[in-house]
Amino acid sequence: MITRTTYVVNRLGLHARPSAQLVSATSKFQSEVFITRQDLRINAKSIMGVMMLAAEKGSELLIEADGPDEQAAVEAVVQLIESGFGEEI
Amino acid sequence: MVAVASKRKVIRGIPISSGIALGHVQVVLPGLLDVAEKSIRASEVDKEIAALEKAVEDTAQELRKLHQSAGRKIDSSISKVFGAQLLIATDRDFLNQVRAEIASQQRNAGFVYNLMVRKATHQLQLANNPYLQQSAQEIQAVAERVLSHLYGVGEKSTSRFDPDTILVAQSFTPGNILDYRQRRAAGFLACEGGAHSHTALIARSLLVPMVVAPRALNKLVSGSQIILDGANGRAIINPTEAEWADYTHKRERLGPAMISRIKRLTEIPPRTADDVPVQVAANLEFPGPADEILAARKIPVGLYRTEFLYLERNDPPDEFAQFRFYDRIAERFAESHVVFRTFDLGSDKVRSGGPNIVEPNPALGWRGIRLMLDMPDVFRTQVRAILRASTRRNVSILLPMISDLSEFLKAKKLIGQAALELRRQGESFDERIQVGVMVEVPSAALMAESLAEQADFVHIGTNDLTQYTMSADRSNDRVAGLYSPFHPSVIKLVDMTVRACRKLNKPVCVCGETAGDPLGIILYVGLGVTGVSMNPGKVFDSCRLIKKIDYDVLRHLVIPLLSSQSAVAATRRLQSYRNAIENK
Repeated sequence: MITRTTYVVNRLGLHARPSAQLVSATSKFQSEVFITRQDLRINAKSIMGVMMLAAEKGSELLIEADGPDEQAAVEAVVQLIESGFGEEI
Repeated sequence: MVAVASKRKVIRGIPISSGIALGHVQVVLPGLLDVAEKSIRASEVDKEIAALEKAVEDTAQELRKLHQSAGRKIDSSISKVFGAQLLIATDRDFLNQVRAEIASQQRNAGFVYNLMVRKATHQLQLANNPYLQQSAQEIQAVAERVLSHLYGVGEKSTSRFDPDTILVAQSFTPGNILDYRQRRAAGFLACEGGAHSHTALIARSLLVPMVVAPRALNKLVSGSQIILDGANGRAIINPTEAEWADYTHKRERLGPAMISRIKRLTEIPPRTADDVPVQVAANLEFPGPADEILAARKIPVGLYRTEFLYLERNDPPDEFAQFRFYDRIAERFAESHVVFRTFDLGSDKVRSGGPNIVEPNPALGWRGIRLMLDMPDVFRTQVRAILRASTRRNVSILLPMISDLSEFLKAKKLIGQAALELRRQGESFDERIQVGVMVEVPSAALMAESLAEQADFVHIGTNDLTQYTMSADRSNDRVAGLYSPFHPSVIKLVDMTVRACRKLNKPVCVCGETAGDPLGIILYVGLGVTGVSMNPGKVFDSCRLIKKIDYDVLRHLVIPLLSSQSAVAATRRLQSYRNAIENK
């Protein structure tokens, strides 16, 4: 199991479009992936879960992955979040 | 049909999308259904879960179809909406949680599903962020479909409406408009929504009439007869027979907006009976089904409004995102031409980085080119993006609301700077791109010669020009009667502008609703414009009319118009010429 902490950098936060992108990314991995924000821990393969984080710009997120490709999974998620999902920062 | 209250009522509201529809009301409530809680026996749990899974699968199929067809028809931004909804509908994690709750609580599937959706969206709705709230709306939209399937309640989502059904609701999402239109809804009346919203753009791009009138829902019932007048923002409930006949006639005269007729046009640009060419172009503001047909017949875009990039945001997307839009549009029209108008917005829309601005008189305020010149970075970014999309040499830039020569010169300087930057960065663009001005303010018309000397082309915006000249707001019922593009004063300003352009050999085109009106065409062709740009639905009829015009005859006929005593007198003269040539 690996964990990494990161921050939401894009101006509009985790709205529908980045949530869909995130889920498209995590669903490619075998490992389980979870994201925690404040008290809420959600399954990062669930778009409802990701949306429910209601993560605005600046939110601190804890990324967890557990499984055979956990390293790649965490990196992919962090990359996506830290690049601002290709949106305005 | 529900029994109707038979009192006639006129509903006044905001025009959202022009067109006339006559038919009957159907109220739709695209909101989350309320589901009653029922306890179930342990033995029924599996059945409930199975029913839910089936409803989800039916929803997923529906969304896949909409995703595909939206991707074909409109822009992929709409199909992305359905794509995200599809992910929501098939969210396995969420569904497993719902299943577990159904089993442990022994409650009916619909109730549990609904409850859990509400819990999920609660957080999102609390966020002070419209984008997160939008996510909540998407989730609710999906839940509504699932519950509709589960209960077979409300409209079956793929069945066609009865002919001439005009839908009335509190509000419509862009997805609703697309969906209902595919099911042959004839028009839309909403209680909320702005003329510049995403929903409004979709309605206009689909050429379906729409009006927004607060509290409309209180004034009608499903089954009432209704006339919907999109261009004037009115609806008449239980109209008289005379009104019905009148509007039926009006609708016929508008001509069906069947874009497909454009395919039959053989001569572009059309030529008058005495062989004078008149460029006919289309006004667009958002990708839509008309684009393909216009492009195939090589009909240019005389005015491409770019405000859609500001949809539901306070500043425009970055340069690359803008470039992608402009480039895609330029590519669609690769065999003709596109004129992009730079952002024409007011202070209510644009974030200035300071406290919220409230202007006492926004129509005469900080808008159009004035606003852009005060935000040179935003302007330059847009110009850079347009320039980068000009590599096919089929793009021009149009500057809105020019009221003074200095504005044009400042804008040109900024354009020059943008070009220089791009050149240094090794980006290619059309070095000879043309820059034109919109003449829509009387001061610009009165100094048209100075402007025409400096600009590459001129577009006359008759809607605003008429409003400013007559000092009458066409949406203000008390003075709307003063608004007439055929008022001799307005005609004189147009004439002045056209003459200045012709003298300096610069193209001059009229855009604005009147350019698609038969009397407008007759007037402007008679005054000697080089082109007219209009709503795509009017292109076919306009080309046909132009072919009947004898330019040499008309241009003499138009001279006395300039000394008409009133709009009514001028209109009558134009109408009699029209009757003469239509009845040949």
